[in-house]
Amino acid sequence: MVDAVTQAKWDKLAPRFDTMASAGAEKRWAPDKSALFAGIEGKVLFLALGTGLDIPFFPKGLSITALDISPKMIEHAQERIAAYDGSIETHVMDVHDMQFEAESFDMVVTSCTFCSVPRPIEGLKALHRVLKPGGRLLMFEHTGSRWYPFRYMMNLMTLITRKIGPDMNRPTVANVRAAGFKVTEVCNVFLDVVKTIKAVKQAA
Amino acid sequence: MDRRLSYAMGDLVANVALGAFVGLLCWLIVGPSWNMWIAMLLMMAIGSFLGLVSFFLTARWLGAMEAMVPMMLTGELTGMVVGMAVPMMPFAAWQGLVWGAACGAGSMVIIWIANALLKGVTREGKEVRHG
Repeated sequence: MVDAVTQAKWDKLAPRFDTMASAGAEKRWAPDKSALFAGIEGKVLFLALGTGLDIPFFPKGLSITALDISPKMIEHAQERIAAYDGSIETHVMDVHDMQFEAESFDMVVTSCTFCSVPRPIEGLKALHRVLKPGGRLLMFEHTGSRWYPFRYMMNLMTLITRKIGPDMNRPTVANVRAAGFKVTEVCNVFLDVVKTIKAVKQAA
Repeated sequence: MDRRLSYAMGDLVANVALGAFVGLLCWLIVGPSWNMWIAMLLMMAIGSFLGLVSFFLTARWLGAMEAMVPMMLTGELTGMVVGMAVPMMPFAAWQGLVWGAACGAGSMVIIWIANALLKGVTREGKEVRHG
């Protein structure tokens, strides 16, 4: 079952999403995203695809399963999907209710996703379920801050941004641990609010 | 500090401009008879909000969090300093502009220092500096 409220929010945002998020953020984050995504390999699940802003950073020749809760976002991603030198299979799906077999992916990759997933720990547990034992989770995420005044500022921002899009104050590294992953590396890209996270699903 | 000069200069110019604007706004809004603490708190709130809104004007060039966080800090700091100064002393419009611009530059320096301290890789609890 897809969360209709969340889907409607992102469908509404889709036509303006590139204007809001594309030019500045993607250019600024390009070196860090490229470095993180260079490690993508095997059978990969990517979320959330959005309008496909991350596709130019994917290594060539991969076969990627990508999902997003918003069909409108995926519509806007078609041009970038077509331009990718590899294959991208898209699904409109809620991370809380993924229809994939357990232990079916070697790697899960997320990009600015868990600022918006309504129940982040449950969403991460769903990713844990579909990863093979020993499989890796790569994340490029913005999060809350541990430090004053940034922590207070992120909390204040969230009061406004939550209504139109993402939360700004999520404790995503802690959420990854709470979902059962072993965090192997955290790299702060800007302050401690933009970061890359690498984690692994340990074999039982 | 972002090692790409265009971003470092863009961040600095945007924050100096925002600081000057908020400084001037403080001079326009706050009267000499105002309670200093009320003026400070009100202008901190207005400055923070203006910083958040200004992010939408600069995001296309400067990015997301890298634009939003410094601009909110600039708005807040300028509101605090200039909002408090106006009731305390004879204060001209040009001082609002200059003090605000200085607050914008100061905020950016704070962000650069904080970023230098926080940026880095943690592997299994061991802190490693970026290259």
